[in-house]
Formats: sequence, C-alpha cells, structure tokens
Amino acid sequence: MGSEAAPPSLPEWTSEPCMMGIDEAGRGPVLGPMVYGCLYCSISYKDTLSSLKFADSKTLKEEKREELFENLKSNVSIGWAVDIIDPRELSAKMLKKTKINLNEISHESASGLVARVLDMGVLLTEVYVDTVGDPEKYRIKLSERYPSVKFVVAKKADSLYPVVSGASIVAKVTRDQAVLNWVLDETAENMHKKFGSGYPGDPATKAWLDDHKHSVFGFPTLVRFSWGTCTPYFKKLAEVLWESDEVDEEGSSSGNRRQLKLTSVGITGYKRKSEEIQSSGKGRCKFFETRKLEQLTRF
Amino acid sequence: MNREKESSEIPQNGIIGSIDLKSDESIVDLTDKIHQLPCCIKYNGPCSVSHYFKPKQTGVDVEGLSVEEACFRGRKLQGTKITLPQGYSGFVLGKKKIAGKRKSEGVSEENSNHWEMRASFQSIDYWNHDDVPSQSDAFYRCLHWLPAANALHKPVSASDLTHASTLFGVKID
Repeated sequence: MGSEAAPPSLPEWTSEPCMMGIDEAGRGPVLGPMVYGCLYCSISYKDTLSSLKFADSKTLKEEKREELFENLKSNVSIGWAVDIIDPRELSAKMLKKTKINLNEISHESASGLVARVLDMGVLLTEVYVDTVGDPEKYRIKLSERYPSVKFVVAKKADSLYPVVSGASIVAKVTRDQAVLNWVLDETAENMHKKFGSGYPGDPATKAWLDDHKHSVFGFPTLVRFSWGTCTPYFKKLAEVLWESDEVDEEGSSSGNRRQLKLTSVGITGYKRKSEEIQSSGKGRCKFFETRKLEQLTRF
Repeated sequence: MNREKESSEIPQNGIIGSIDLKSDESIVDLTDKIHQLPCCIKYNGPCSVSHYFKPKQTGVDVEGLSVEEACFRGRKLQGTKITLPQGYSGFVLGKKKIAGKRKSEGVSEENSNHWEMRASFQSIDYWNHDDVPSQSDAFYRCLHWLPAANALHKPVSASDLTHASTLFGVKID
C-alpha cells in the first residue's frame, strides 16, 4: 500500500474544526491500483473552497483535473492525502482463502485515511464520504470507529459536496499518474503500456489484455485477477486448481468433499487417475500420514 | 500393485523400473529454479517462468525460515527456500528413450518405467497460499524422513549391538 501525504508540519487552521471529503478512483477498472483520496480544510474555509470550482473529477477534462490538483497542492489552506491500493493487493485479498470483498477493502482504505489525518492532529469534525454501497451501514461503521466525527455518507457525494469533489480530483489524478508511470514487474518481451482507461469496455484495454495474456501466468500483476472480466480469458488458458478451492464431488449430500491433491512430494507431470485426490499417506504409520508421504511404485 | 506387462524380465508380483542418473557435466543445474506451488497447473511444457514469477525476500524470519513473497494468478504466495541436506540431490527425470529393438516388442515409451536424469537441483522453494511457511508444514516435514531413513538403514556394527544389549538389559550371545 503506497501512501503520500502533505508535509508533516501542521498549519494553524488544523486546530480549528475541520471538514474532510473522501472519494475513490479506479474502482471499476480491471487493471491498475485503486486510489482513495481525501481533502480537508477548516470549516471556516468552506465558502472559499466552493468558489475554487472543484467539480466531480469525471466531468472534468484531464488537463483541467491536473491543473486543479496542482492548485490545491499549493493551497496552504487545504490538506490532502491518498491511499494507493496496489492491484496485487486487490487480487490477493479478493482471492484469499477467506475472501475479502471490494467493499470491505474500500471501507478499510477510507477509514485508514480518517485515522491518518486524525493521528496527524487535525481536528476533524465532519467527514463526507462517497459510496457505491449501502450508505447507512457504512455511516454506522465509520461513526462507531470515530465517535468524535460526524459522517455524511452519500451516493454521488462527489457531485454534491465540493470537499468530496476536491477529494475526487486528488484520487483521480493520482490513479492516472500511477497507471501512466506503472513499471511492469514482468520482463517478457513485446510488452507495452497502452492500457487504455482500464475499464473492461474500453477497446484499448481489451486489446492490451489480449496482447498480454499468458497461458500459465494469466496476466501481468497489473491486472486484477479477481475481476469478472478475466474469467473468459482464464477459460482459454491453462487451468489452475487451488487447494483452497474445494471441489464438490457429484452428489455431495454425503458431505464427501474431494480435496485437490497438490501436496505429494513427487514433482512429476505424470497423470495418475487419483491426480485430484489429496495425497494422504493414509493407512501408513502416523509419521508418513502427517507428512502426507505416500509410497509410489510408479510416477 | 501395477501388473502391466512391460518386458519379459518383469516378475509376476511386482514391477521393475530403472533410473539412470548419468554423471554428465552437461546436466542442467536447476538449483534456485525449482518451485513447489500450492496449486495444480494443468500444463506441461516450456514456460518463461523467470519473466513472470518474481519472488522477493521479505526480510522476515519465521521459525528460522526466511520468508519470500510472490504472486501467482492473483494469489499471494509466501514461501521459503529449502536447501537439500548434504548428500542429497533433487532430480528432474524423463522417460528413457527406448532403443529400436525394444520398440518392436510393443513396448512404448508411454508405459515404460525406465527413466533418465534431465536436470538436477540442490534447493526447492516451496510456497503456501496466504500462510507464512512454518516448520509444521507437511512439505517441510517430509524432509524428516531423510535422517529417519538413514537411521533405519545404517549398517549395525557389533559394538552397536553390545551397546544396545546393555541399554535394554538383554544379553546377546
């Protein structure tokens, strides 16, 4: 999780009651990081903030967004911070043995920003949060965690509250720059960076996915493997079975579950009939059973 | 027990196989390149592993194991390198090419049990999905078999026997 924050020396206005907006960028795309951004200022600055013409970042042109971001960075009456959630982290969490869904990841990120700004010593009293999920549940969750703060959670908050519009600019510009400057982990030849917007419907993104699919590895780690967009691709690539994805045996009413056999020591490609049944060393003495060592007469 | 007929030398109650561990200097050394993943990849063949699979040291030690991190198909893997004990090597085996004469006897490479070494290695990186590697991992504990097997198969000398007899209070003539 990368992060960046305003300089540590706190301006005086932070000891006045402050408001903060939180918004996200890059929730939908199949590739790249998801970014949570926040922008805060003293409540007495509210009217001036409204005059700065922050609008929902999606309605602004790229250059305009970048210009506004530069302006707010140099504005001493405004503070901001971002939380960059790496696509590897998104994939890993959503594909954990106990899966974590995108809403939970989002909530933790937003909550982390509140904690970070409070820890810096900013007197936050009002926080406005944009959400795609159920606003009330989310509001209760945040209010319980930070009782001193009044939370307003709303859909489309980025177009309703200037402080959230500002946060959306922080998030969107940071996400765009992160994708633009992305250094692919993979070193295979013929890789390129024409990612497009990253949205599954974007022809440039589709073309990039087609150009970078790999029969064994799937995709470069820039891609969010947990996205539904990837599923049709995986069907055409080498199948990969995980121990954590238990396979139901036909007529599993008996509760009989087949566990994938992946732990036998023999690292051979030989296809045995029992390929998908876990090596257990069953029937052998305890020493072998606990180590799942079975005897092979053929490999 | 597999009773498939392979060649005339096969006894009725077992199978015979051979493994040819040639000591050719041209043998590929795959030390540091052998990975045991917690999944089954339904693919056999060459693959540009080092371009895609990039393990990183975390700098964290768990139970004396130095933890590495990697990802595969979006999953986070945590693993550690096991160096094979002194006196042991790992081998990649392939079916031994069958000479022309035996082919005529209807023996195909497919069902032969004769193997030859294609590569050797001195270390394995084994990986867990999500979990940090631990000395209680079944894969790690498999290595316990090596000293156990040694102890079981070590030739017993006369002095060992005398020692054992005094230990257990049994007199051996």
